Amino acid sequence: MSWSAPLPALALVGAVLTAGAGALAMLDHLVGARTAGRPVRLLAALGQPVARSALLLLTRRATTPRTDAAAWALAPAVLVGMAAAAVAAVPWDRGVAVADVDDGIVLVGAAFAVVMVGVYLHGWAANSPLPLHGGYRFVALALSYEMPLALVLIAAALPAESLSIGAIVESQAGTWNVVRQPLGLPLYLVAGAGLAFWGPLNVPDAGDLGGGTAAEVSGPARLAWAGAQGAVLTAVAVVGAGVFLGGWHGPLLPGAAWTALKALALLALLAGARHRLARVRLERFVVLAWTVLIPLALVDVFVSGALAL
Amino acid sequence: MGLTSGLARLARRAPVPVFPVVGAGGRRAATVLPTLDGIEVVTTPRAAVVLLVVGRVTRALLAPVLALHDQLPGPRAAVQWRVDGGGDGDGDDLAGVLPGLVAAPPGDGEQLRRLMGELVSGARTSSPPALPPVEPAAWRGVGPYGQGGTGMTGGVPYGRPMPGWADDRDGLKLDQLKLRLGPAFPPFPPGLVLDLEVQGDVLQTAAVGDNPFVSWPGDPPVTVTDSVEFAAARTEAVAVADLELARARHHLVWLAGALRHHGLAARGERVLRLASGLTIGDAAAVQALARSVVRSRSLAWATDGVGVMSGDGLPAGPVARAAGDVRDARVADDAYRDLGFEPVTDAGGDARARLRQRVTEVVQALELAERCGDRRREPGGAVEGPRGTLAAGEGESTPSAALLERLPDLLAGQEWGDAVTTVVSLDLDLEEAALGAGAPVGT
Repeated sequence: MSWSAPLPALALVGAVLTAGAGALAMLDHLVGARTAGRPVRLLAALGQPVARSALLLLTRRATTPRTDAAAWALAPAVLVGMAAAAVAAVPWDRGVAVADVDDGIVLVGAAFAVVMVGVYLHGWAANSPLPLHGGYRFVALALSYEMPLALVLIAAALPAESLSIGAIVESQAGTWNVVRQPLGLPLYLVAGAGLAFWGPLNVPDAGDLGGGTAAEVSGPARLAWAGAQGAVLTAVAVVGAGVFLGGWHGPLLPGAAWTALKALALLALLAGARHRLARVRLERFVVLAWTVLIPLALVDVFVSGALAL
Repeated sequence: MGLTSGLARLARRAPVPVFPVVGAGGRRAATVLPTLDGIEVVTTPRAAVVLLVVGRVTRALLAPVLALHDQLPGPRAAVQWRVDGGGDGDGDDLAGVLPGLVAAPPGDGEQLRRLMGELVSGARTSSPPALPPVEPAAWRGVGPYGQGGTGMTGGVPYGRPMPGWADDRDGLKLDQLKLRLGPAFPPFPPGLVLDLEVQGDVLQTAAVGDNPFVSWPGDPPVTVTDSVEFAAARTEAVAVADLELARARHHLVWLAGALRHHGLAARGERVLRLASGLTIGDAAAVQALARSVVRSRSLAWATDGVGVMSGDGLPAGPVARAAGDVRDARVADDAYRDLGFEPVTDAGGDARARLRQRVTEVVQALELAERCGDRRREPGGAVEGPRGTLAAGEGESTPSAALLERLPDLLAGQEWGDAVTTVVSLDLDLEEAALGAGAPVGT
């Protein structure tokens, strides 16, 4: 049976995204409890995502007058779909991938770009000022993180001389990209946090907008949105593990275990950043992106290209 | 049935999502909420199971509270923490309008958890809607599209303003949206209402709405309930150590709210825990906290250059001291005279300077509390409160009232996020601002 047959492929990608979103919620709970000075209970952390999901499933779905119902339902689906497309392109072990397509890195870049549409729709559809404002904020931010994101992914493909993620992981057999392209992973994580509107880059769903695009969402729809955000972060972590941290390369453990561990490490890093870094100011971040992040990403591309020649 | 009861068993272990509304006299009682075990304070009523009203609902707060109540998706419960004991004259009309309202003593987290358990298991019915299911205003069939404006913009169909059309700061014409925030907008001080005209992310104008704590004839009088120690010091002798500890606690509670606003709710919770049990022995912990806040690059980045206020005309207090103004009533206070008290100041007058100023004042307050022994402050004279100098006499303008007056000019032209940061950085108290204000127009 091939991993790329429709049913096993869907099941595998669905399981990865669910596990990733759940792991992120647990990590976030643990880091949050530690930061807040609450007792850190591992078992309670394991049960938290389940308990919260159950509560949201029992809560009614409130609605606002004259919503764009189709767009509202579609928004989390867009995010999950794009996260699934990105995760599918990453091989877990040599030759074990749902779809290690020849131009996987282009697919990932394209899927990440469409996330913006989902977040904007989520803000637009509620027919309410604060969510709409959140949606527009995300659009204003999008190009600033998407440019460095695309550039560092291209730079990672240069030494592999291939756009396939399998080939990119294979090319890191000696040295991982995180070492030979030291600018890559930090820029990727900043851009990834922007993409998943997470922590310091949670501008569209920020508390200063009363929850932004999620301000009017309740019950199962709220669960879907939280799950969609977790799915996008999982995709960011899995792609990051393959493209920058050498994917399946590692001693003793099976390759798939290494990919999963590396992705978990990136999720833990993102969970930690959420409780340590204050939310950025939109305008300041855009200026920083265009004057520092994008030029650094270009340097990353040029240097990687020169070394690959 | 099996599925629902299974989900209910699981859901009981989730933290109770609570949306708080702080009424008259409730501000201090509400501060413990984020530190209660198994409680989560949420930023929108749509995410809440419990609407928690802390204190008395004034006449002006009643309609907003009912609208908020109906925005909770359900199953929902409304709880009121009565701070005045709930006796005659301290009560309000809320119980009459919300039949399922549960009255409770402040700080009871256990009861909130029990309520949610009963709600999800079906043992308790969800609180019914408080308002009739009708549009608050009629659709007005005027204009080419019937919305009451001109072209495709303007008008107020169903009482909701459509975007208008106005010049922007770059000389272009852009949509302009009118909206009202408050009186329970989470980052704002309780009771603050702002009427905004927004173009994109920019606030074009901001007007301060009626203060819901101003008393109407026949209502209980306004009293300051947040910084009570300092109001009391005007008329009775108090220990200087108690005053300074209260000041440190006040600024820490403010800091917790500011951290929460900047997306650092868990750090804010830690600060609240420190504040709730604060003693003179916590000096080392407070100094470590102050260092980490002052050195945080991301907090500096979030507050640098935001809401700059120059010293001229500012009421004496931490906001003015953050702009380099040395006025501090403790300088002329006999109780502080031979303690070697010198006011600390900062430069810049922006939100970052105000953040540094307050954490520095926390450290200073603890030092003073340690040095002053059991010295007492005799009544009389102006008292330096945590928000600024409280004049000796009643009915004079308070620091909050003076800052509130400057808010519209300060906020106009700011980006949304910066404007909210500015409001947070001023540490306003609408009850304090209501002191000495006349009854609202039209009473």
